[in-house]
Amino acid sequence: MPPKRKAAQAVESDDDYDESLDEGVLSDQETFDRLKAQYDVVAMSKKARASHQVDAASHMFKKADQWDARLKPDHASRPLWVDDAGRIILESFSPAFSEAQTFLINIAEPQSRVSKIHEYSLTTHSLFAAVSVGFSTQDIISQLDKFSKTSLSPSVRSFIEKSTSSFGKARIVLKHTLSYIESDDPEILRRLLRDPTIAECRADGSNDLLQEAAPKVGGIAIPGTKAAAGANQVAQPQQQSEMMASLKEDDDDDDAAQVHSFQIKSEERERVIKRCQDIGLPLTEEYDFKNDEVNPDLEIDLRPSARIRDYQERALGKMFGNSRARSGIIVLPCGAGKTLVGITASCTIQKSIMVLCTSAMSAVQWRAEFIKWSNVDPNDIAVFTSSDKNTFPRQAGILISTYTMITATKKRSHDAEKVWDWIRSREWGLLVADEVHVVPANVFKKVTYAIASHCKLGLTATLLREDDKIETLNFLIGPKLYEANWQELAEQGHIAKVQCAEVWCQMTPEFYTEWLRPSSTNQKKALLSVMNPKKFQACQFLIDYHEKRGDKIIVFADNVFALEAYAKKLGKAYIYGDTPQAERLRILENFQHNELVNTIFLSKIGDTSLDLPEATCLIQISSHYGSRRQEAQRLGRILRAKRRNDEGFNAFFYSLVSKDTDEMFYSSKRQAFLVDQGYAFKVITRLEGLEHHNDLAFSTPQERRELLQSVVDAKEGAGDVENIKGDLFGSKYASNQGRGKKKAGVRRLAGTLSELSGGQDMAYIEYNKSKNKDLKKKQGVKNAFVKKLARNTENARKAAGK
Amino acid sequence: MSASASQALAYLEELPLTVHKKLYQQPSTVLAIFRCMLPHLAKTIVMAMLYMTGPLPIADLDAWVREDARSEKDKAVSNLESLHIINLEQESPKQYTYRLNAGFARSLRQALTGGGSHASFGVPPSQPDPERVDLAFLDEYARKRWETILYYMVASTSGLANAESLGSGVNDGTKTLLRNGEFVRVIHGKAHITEKGFSFVLQEVNSQVWSLLLIYLKHAEQLQMSEVDILSFIFMLGSLELGQDYSTETLSPTQQKMLEDLSALGIVYCSSKSSTRFYPTRLATTLTSEAGALSTVEPVIANALDAPSQGSSGKGYIIVETNYRLYAYTSSHLQIAVLNLFVKLTSRFPNLVAGKLTKESVRRANGLGISASQIIDYLATHAHPQMQKNNPVLPPTVMDQIRLWEYEGERIQTTDGYLMKDFRDEIEYNEIRAYTESLGILVWRNDHKRFLFLDRLEQVKLYMENKKNRGRSQASK
Repeated sequence: MPPKRKAAQAVESDDDYDESLDEGVLSDQETFDRLKAQYDVVAMSKKARASHQVDAASHMFKKADQWDARLKPDHASRPLWVDDAGRIILESFSPAFSEAQTFLINIAEPQSRVSKIHEYSLTTHSLFAAVSVGFSTQDIISQLDKFSKTSLSPSVRSFIEKSTSSFGKARIVLKHTLSYIESDDPEILRRLLRDPTIAECRADGSNDLLQEAAPKVGGIAIPGTKAAAGANQVAQPQQQSEMMASLKEDDDDDDAAQVHSFQIKSEERERVIKRCQDIGLPLTEEYDFKNDEVNPDLEIDLRPSARIRDYQERALGKMFGNSRARSGIIVLPCGAGKTLVGITASCTIQKSIMVLCTSAMSAVQWRAEFIKWSNVDPNDIAVFTSSDKNTFPRQAGILISTYTMITATKKRSHDAEKVWDWIRSREWGLLVADEVHVVPANVFKKVTYAIASHCKLGLTATLLREDDKIETLNFLIGPKLYEANWQELAEQGHIAKVQCAEVWCQMTPEFYTEWLRPSSTNQKKALLSVMNPKKFQACQFLIDYHEKRGDKIIVFADNVFALEAYAKKLGKAYIYGDTPQAERLRILENFQHNELVNTIFLSKIGDTSLDLPEATCLIQISSHYGSRRQEAQRLGRILRAKRRNDEGFNAFFYSLVSKDTDEMFYSSKRQAFLVDQGYAFKVITRLEGLEHHNDLAFSTPQERRELLQSVVDAKEGAGDVENIKGDLFGSKYASNQGRGKKKAGVRRLAGTLSELSGGQDMAYIEYNKSKNKDLKKKQGVKNAFVKKLARNTENARKAAGK
Repeated sequence: MSASASQALAYLEELPLTVHKKLYQQPSTVLAIFRCMLPHLAKTIVMAMLYMTGPLPIADLDAWVREDARSEKDKAVSNLESLHIINLEQESPKQYTYRLNAGFARSLRQALTGGGSHASFGVPPSQPDPERVDLAFLDEYARKRWETILYYMVASTSGLANAESLGSGVNDGTKTLLRNGEFVRVIHGKAHITEKGFSFVLQEVNSQVWSLLLIYLKHAEQLQMSEVDILSFIFMLGSLELGQDYSTETLSPTQQKMLEDLSALGIVYCSSKSSTRFYPTRLATTLTSEAGALSTVEPVIANALDAPSQGSSGKGYIIVETNYRLYAYTSSHLQIAVLNLFVKLTSRFPNLVAGKLTKESVRRANGLGISASQIIDYLATHAHPQMQKNNPVLPPTVMDQIRLWEYEGERIQTTDGYLMKDFRDEIEYNEIRAYTESLGILVWRNDHKRFLFLDRLEQVKLYMENKKNRGRSQASK
């Protein structure tokens, strides 16, 4: 429906929605677009701007100019400014900072949290989230006004009012597996019922609304928290701010502890949600799991040893705010224990749980974590991936799967089909979506429609995409419930402190000449800048330097050609998309436990969900254009460093870029997110001691020319970014493709047996060989003593045989 | 020594002996030069020689100084020599001595012990001023005057819509002054700021005052004014007391004429042209403050001049974050205009301006002739007290990045200077090389070809002449 018509309608009576019956043809994208247009902040700030006085310097301030706003007399003791577009600037050195921060994290999206001044912005979604955790419109405005140095501008007020009045007023609730729409205000429900589509979907025949007592706020205890640790199981969560407390009192005074609801047909649920979004009254999803007697309970509880950290508690507190489970997204830095948050949520709900993750490897890790942190019977955990197709035997259980498996479009194998049908026939208490940012909206839509889950929890470290698809997640899963402050967690020692550096590597003349050649394609150019010998030397130098310090190093390269070339030349193990699962696990194990293997090379399959607490140093030699998410995810690989709490410990993150190439441009883009989290990238133009380093690779012009030749000769497509099958980073989502691929590497050669057996004084030695194979050999027995023992037994056996 | 004093010193060093002699007749001038122009070691040397009856043999001076401080001593002696405060004399064929300039010594003794009828420290009028002005008025007057000048300069690029009218209060004398200094170029009757102008605007107020006064001096002869009179007056102003009125009667005609120009600049205040009394403003009394005064007196003036709306917040007002965002606690249009030169401004609140340092904004500033180090200096000197808790004050990554942005655009650097070649032998080459190195004027050298590249020549010339004379006298013996 074009906005114009919408505007025309608005003039008519409020309940006249008859004309918009054609909603069926609308795609969701249009719905989102329309909603976005309706709550467009930019347009609003433009309007607001017109109301401000203009002075000589006004035109310099493109975003906001509010010099004429009235400054409160005691402004020095108030911590923030709010502009017309809802951007908030917060002084971190103000005495009221921590109070203001606690409040802002509830109502606004953090934009940058560096040392002195933080920035937040009010968005419709952040306000939506604020409402869903129990803030009232009046509350948001009065609190914000209290903290603001200037009086709140009318446009901000009206923006908050407009956003909060329409969002979260009505909730969709699954009670006894039946769907209800519920609200504190019966008028809103009546308004909904006047809509023909919604009226059609109504299940109970009566005209009256149901009434019941409102649920008690904070009536449940999340396992592992302080509240649960105490004897009093219904203790109030302590993290409630003073203001929240006063809000509750207000509620009691108003005697508004009544909720009204009507039932809708469960099968029409999706249609109702869509319709409500359409008419500007989006529904929040909540799950009253305590009173759900239909779905069998799962026996699961956190182990007594498991303690969850205060920020995890805060995040979960948002999710289980009023004794019901709310759908939404929790954003925590990598290594800050997202998995534990997911497990704790599962332990709170205690129904059947579905976990979706990005790869089979992380599915295995999730399973291990469940067993580690909770007392769940390992038999109750089923894994549904291309290699495992299990179901759990009892009524309730945990199923771990990958997005690819769930959304597969191709015909499934018989086994998979059976499991899939079983999944669809069930009702799930909680759907945990790991690394939810990688999931494209249309894929996730399929997931949410196919799996009947009462509640959805999205987990991610980086709620960013270079395309603006993130917003759609707000509709599909729910609002962002919590976002942690990276610097704060690093200060408290929950994640490692990291020294970030960008190393500028000069292009060698011959490479740059080739780079400048007009005939060079973009791919070739990218390859040339990655294979720059100076960069190679820098990489070699840094690896040597950090290996000597006792660091475990991960080197990231997006480009497989470069990955292989680097790893082989330096004699290190490497993993990329085509590395078989068994080999991957073996290499990772070696990296973790073998002190001879201190460096591994990873392609972008290592970006997410790879848990390597040993790694303390990270070197990035090539990357995916300007992806801020990838940069943050990669940094995440070293945030959980085991040694992070050692005195003066620092992890290291190096990004190697070739000077005067596109890489420079992209690298500043990539860093944008981390820089806003307070990380500072030091630019290193010269590595101290590099020239004195012995046996640097490619130190002679001869070698460099050979390298250049190999790059030039590399087949077209070698410069391409790796396309990983069965991984969500790739563009294809089809499963089972990787398995069918024929393995290359077997060739038939003519020769005599004596040649091969060394009878002609020739021996086969592979230079430049892959370290991966080396690791395989070592696999058997490593200890010298055990080796000797084995040899002796062998000899003894031989002797006996004779 | 502050940056402002060093540019004044450079000017003074270039003056001929006759001017120096005349200047040294005024105790106030001598005291000012002694206080703020000389390096620490030079002061010690002068003080040691002041009440010495005879000259000081070179050997003795060398014995005072430790071997590792030789370059410092060379620098101090070279300064004193070029200011003609001490002279090298040949006592006997073998003995060279330093002797303090008689006039300088006499005036300095007079300044230190008092006495005499020179009136060089100003004379308060016998009658109290019926319309006496207070300190706040003087500060406000100086600030207004000085800001007007800056507004006039930045009018063309500030982007301020009303910059023209803000700078319209500048009188013709000042305009000529700015034009002479090549701070502005007038095209079609409109002032356009030049590269030199930008670096002027980004300087500390004290340095700005000195730069303008030096231009004034250089063009004094065209106005038939005596250079010596002007200089003495400037140095006198530096030793006057803030808030005290002084009589114009003891001033020379040149100085009386100068009073008018200085009041246009806001350095002194006269209630009317015919008034027989004047008040020095803070701009004047901080002129010859010692280096240390920068941190004590300067904040007051910076505060008075820079942040009129933010009386309590102290000196700095800028916060720079590691994500290149910049927040400035200011509402002054002038500061906004200055920031706008190298910051991409985004939003403004009644007491805060927010923006971001971007590659584009910094490169644009570089294009206008503003160097990275000027930007960094400006940000560092005006850093908010919260920032000054840090060490270094600015985030190192941001400083590096600003420099790198500049560097990226300019891969070739030029230095003006002099090439010395064709040395007689290795010994001479090494000697000159060591001497210039210790003075810090050696930019580049090539030992193989015996080339030296210096950015200044005077001292070396003097050194070589002295050496030649010595050599000749030794030969004649």
